[in-house]
Amino acid sequence: MSCAESLQVQAYVDGEADAMASAAIEQHLENCAECRLLHRELLELHSALRRELPYTQTPATLRAQIMRTLDQEKRLAEPPRRTPSFWHLRSYWMGAASGLGAAAAAAALAFVLLVPPVTSTVVDELLGAHVNSLMSSHLIDIVSTDRHTVKPWFAGHTDVSPSVADFEAQGYKLVGGRVDYLEHQRAAVVVYQHGAHVINVFTWADNRQSLPATVTRNGYHLACWKAGDLDNCAVSDAGWDELHEMVRLIQGASALEQR
Amino acid sequence: MDDRRQRFETLILPYLDDAYRFARWLARSPESADDCVQEAMLRAYRSFDGLRGSDAKAWLLTIVRNCHSTTQKREQRRAQVPLPEEQDPLDSQALIAPEPNPENASIRQDEARTLERLVAALPEEYREVLILREVEDMDYRGIATVVNIPLGTVMSRLARARALLKKRWLQQVEGAASVVR
Repeated sequence: MSCAESLQVQAYVDGEADAMASAAIEQHLENCAECRLLHRELLELHSALRRELPYTQTPATLRAQIMRTLDQEKRLAEPPRRTPSFWHLRSYWMGAASGLGAAAAAAALAFVLLVPPVTSTVVDELLGAHVNSLMSSHLIDIVSTDRHTVKPWFAGHTDVSPSVADFEAQGYKLVGGRVDYLEHQRAAVVVYQHGAHVINVFTWADNRQSLPATVTRNGYHLACWKAGDLDNCAVSDAGWDELHEMVRLIQGASALEQR
Repeated sequence: MDDRRQRFETLILPYLDDAYRFARWLARSPESADDCVQEAMLRAYRSFDGLRGSDAKAWLLTIVRNCHSTTQKREQRRAQVPLPEEQDPLDSQALIAPEPNPENASIRQDEARTLERLVAALPEEYREVLILREVEDMDYRGIATVVNIPLGTVMSRLARARALLKKRWLQQVEGAASVVR
């Protein structure tokens, strides 16, 4: 561009010229053919770019992962919280044995039902862990379709012993197990496959946190339940019916294990 | 949620999409854009206490740009072989004609892809100012902050970026027309 005013014309198009400068440039445009052409081209380029360049948004998975990173960052800044000790669990079970436990369990259930789930951080953690497992190569730590391999593996790697069973006959294939850090403890994750859907079933020691029964977040379904002193949650993008069936099967298997 | 996190979500998080878009235009692959944005959000979270009423968007995009240059330096040290994306698309594709298609919509689509490709092929110092102005809708002062250059340089660089884009666009159109003929 040879005209000395070309940068002023550009500033005018970019909305950077004040009223005085604008008036001067409009005046100049009437007299300078070169700048009139530049002016038109700048406007054309501007609208072509607006029209043609993709207006990308952050993928939901990345957003979830960032939120999870921030959660972890917060956790690092806090003093570590104590995980429930053996003695806590023992006294809990003694209470349960005395019959008071039933009332406590009922109260806990009522608590679960009454507390609104919307602000639950555990839901965020579960969702983050689920999404992360699908994105990274960290879906499975132990690959096995044999429950007699998967269940003992958890004993050395997590703080809890989850129910593990293969429901391949019912369409829910056991594919392996994994450890995730959840609720300040090493949670057990049993991974099932149902058609094209991965279902992560998380199990961790109950630390008196409220737990929503069912919740949908970012298109993922979460179905949670308490069993004894363990919290469980199945997370998947499968439909509600399929997820509830999964939960029903696990609860059935877990009842058998207890016998 | 604590107060600090709440403040971050009110003040900074609304610009996540801007950060992501900017990173996508800077980075050579979607993966490295993802890494860059994650790193930037974490850095932002650690240091946003110092942010006082200044432009949060420009501040966040500055961090994204810094993360990008750090990553890029690291990648350049590591890689002896240039990434395929780093070839100038003009070299390999300028002579390939878009398929003649009577439908306007398809031509328009071709145009969109071409324009996107041409912008992506601009040298980084031109690409970043153009994207900040045309996509992120930032004013000259904001661009000067993010790129860390004087206002005058913002103006001259924008002018050169636009002139180069126009030149390459015309080459593309003429090249395509001569092949079709």
